[in-house]
Amino acid sequence: MCDPALRWAMDSAEEPAGANRNGESPAAVAAPTEATEETTVTAEGSELERSIGLTGGIAIGVGTMIGAGIFVFPGIAAGRAGPAAAGSFAIGAVIALLVALPASELATAMPKSGGGYYFISRALGALPGAVVGISIWLGLVFATAFYLVGFGNYAAALLAEAGVDLGSASVVVPLGLVFGALLTGLNLMGTENAAKLQNYVVGLLLTILVVFLGYGGLDALGIVGATSAPEQFMPFGPMPMFTTAALVFTSYLGFAQVATVAGDIKDPGRNLPLAMIGSVLVVGVLYVATIFVATSAFGSDPLSRFGETAIVEVARSYGGGWGALAILLAGLLATVSSANASILSTSRAVFAISKDALIPQRASRMNLRYGTPHVALAMAGGPVLVLVASGEVEVLAEVASFLHLVMYGLMCVALIAMRRNEPDWYDPDFRVPAHRLVAGVGALSSFALIGFMQPASQIIGVAIMLAAAGWYKYYASDVRLKGVL
Amino acid sequence: MSDLAIREPPRVLVPVEVLEGESISPSLVEFLAPAEVIVLGYHVLPDQTPTEQASMQFEDRARAAAEDIAAVFREAGRDVETRVAFTHDRDQTVDRVAADEGATAVLLPNPVAEVSDVLVPIRGAIDRDRLADLVATLLAEASGSATLWGLDGEGFDAPAAVEAVRESLAGRGLPAAQIRTETSAPESPVRAIVERSADFDLIVMGEGEGSLFAALFGDATERVAEGAVAPVLVVRDRDGGAD
Repeated sequence: MCDPALRWAMDSAEEPAGANRNGESPAAVAAPTEATEETTVTAEGSELERSIGLTGGIAIGVGTMIGAGIFVFPGIAAGRAGPAAAGSFAIGAVIALLVALPASELATAMPKSGGGYYFISRALGALPGAVVGISIWLGLVFATAFYLVGFGNYAAALLAEAGVDLGSASVVVPLGLVFGALLTGLNLMGTENAAKLQNYVVGLLLTILVVFLGYGGLDALGIVGATSAPEQFMPFGPMPMFTTAALVFTSYLGFAQVATVAGDIKDPGRNLPLAMIGSVLVVGVLYVATIFVATSAFGSDPLSRFGETAIVEVARSYGGGWGALAILLAGLLATVSSANASILSTSRAVFAISKDALIPQRASRMNLRYGTPHVALAMAGGPVLVLVASGEVEVLAEVASFLHLVMYGLMCVALIAMRRNEPDWYDPDFRVPAHRLVAGVGALSSFALIGFMQPASQIIGVAIMLAAAGWYKYYASDVRLKGVL
Repeated sequence: MSDLAIREPPRVLVPVEVLEGESISPSLVEFLAPAEVIVLGYHVLPDQTPTEQASMQFEDRARAAAEDIAAVFREAGRDVETRVAFTHDRDQTVDRVAADEGATAVLLPNPVAEVSDVLVPIRGAIDRDRLADLVATLLAEASGSATLWGLDGEGFDAPAAVEAVRESLAGRGLPAAQIRTETSAPESPVRAIVERSADFDLIVMGEGEGSLFAALFGDATERVAEGAVAPVLVVRDRDGGAD
């Protein structure tokens, strides 16, 4: 004899269920198990082409991350931690790797748009899912705003380099605003070959950086140029290394963005883990090398006085005016590519939660004229402009990191939950070795990093999560997503 | 009736950009009906839009539009398969489906009034058996002619290639009266084919080799289809060589 209520609960576990206040239910398009290397097949039998290869995946990861770590943070980080800032970046890389491994396993089991939100909502349920989904939308908005302020700094520095007299007014925020609006507009109109362009931009950037770091590295080791007096590694003790790690973790927010486009990645079982782990390794090495070169060139104190564009002064000291110009251009490219990749990820994050009826499904409507999701893009670009106007680099970066770290920590928890009770359909191509240890340490260190942030960032982050939970209770408390496809 | 010695019944892939209102001329449908036909309704999305998102909103419309086109083929007496795909890259999707279906040729549609005379420009290595199977099947019950046009080029013996294709066609039972042959050596083959397209109703040509020029400006077949008045049937090389 079977209790009807239990029966109902068992049946409902097969597919998403419940409805939000508007009466919308989660939309089931295609089960992730129906994914092949080249397509996903929908319930009605239509094919969804996967068109991003491994290079494209790495370009998304590296392109999103590289803007911040090299072109915004070196001065700020060196000011807070001294040469030990290199250690801060290394800590960030290790935590990112600990999260990238579980994220890879989950992504190969569920290669669908939405990334971290999707895994958490399926493994842990609709409430954590909703909190993460809405937080990550806003987290990406904060990250985008941060990249755009970085862009403004580079554009202003370039104008100054070109000899344009700006008087005393700061043009950093206006330039960031103009470019943010421009990027949103371009994305609304739909750009052909945007993905290919991203590959070339990232390739060019990596070339400039490798040349610059190669020369700077040889100099720092005393092989070429004059030897400089070594500086104490931790002038302020070990603690600032950890608080700085919390700040600069924004430089590693890109790898999980690869998972948000998982539905478009070819051969996801192979390419997703390689792209996520590979992009973390690439940028991690570049970041540590950059800090090493930068602190060797100037010492951390003068470096911190150069602010957001400190790396330009480092380049000037090695390559003169041309070196400075090359790095300025690289900085413009890097911050634009980070901002653009984040706007696109934001729109996909909005799509993922609206598909599951956690926010009105109108948010994922597309317009016929350009074929772009205009509501979701506006929900990305609009709030970004408000935040850019604040111009608060450090708070923007930390809140973005806060909201991402919550998702990263919960992704690790989601992996442990999934493995403990594997559903029939759970068949990842990539399995994390020693998953309890990796995911456990990943979760703990993600949450611990939050503890090292400024109180202002922590308060804003917690407030956003509470608001997200409140929204779920108000709007979509009936929606059930746990354990379904 | 079919006493033709067809080796391999030709399969033609007909990709149609359904949501852009693209369709296939009824006369072309009738002409293609002797071959096995696969209709691929596709929709190209900008990089900003996930394919899943587009399918949620447009899948029903795309499927209905593809079915409408399939219905026209059914009226012409040929049952067709339909497939629907959402993609960021048209060529990738068409190539994948063509390989998946083992298609011998892919149609690049252009409007056409009445199909009778076929132009077959021969500019290089081409799968002669597939070409002959296709042209012989399509012309078997029609009265139109096939003009085999050898385009002389460096290291390519056009008269010999034309003769070989003529023999293959004759071997498949196509009456000699329906086959014409000629050769010439134009400076720009693509432009020459486009110019002559007005005198014919359909162009059948091989894929041609990839080159730097093709990578920059599109395949020769695509440039012909863009400039030509007539639709183009591209005979695919056998998989394994190109893939």
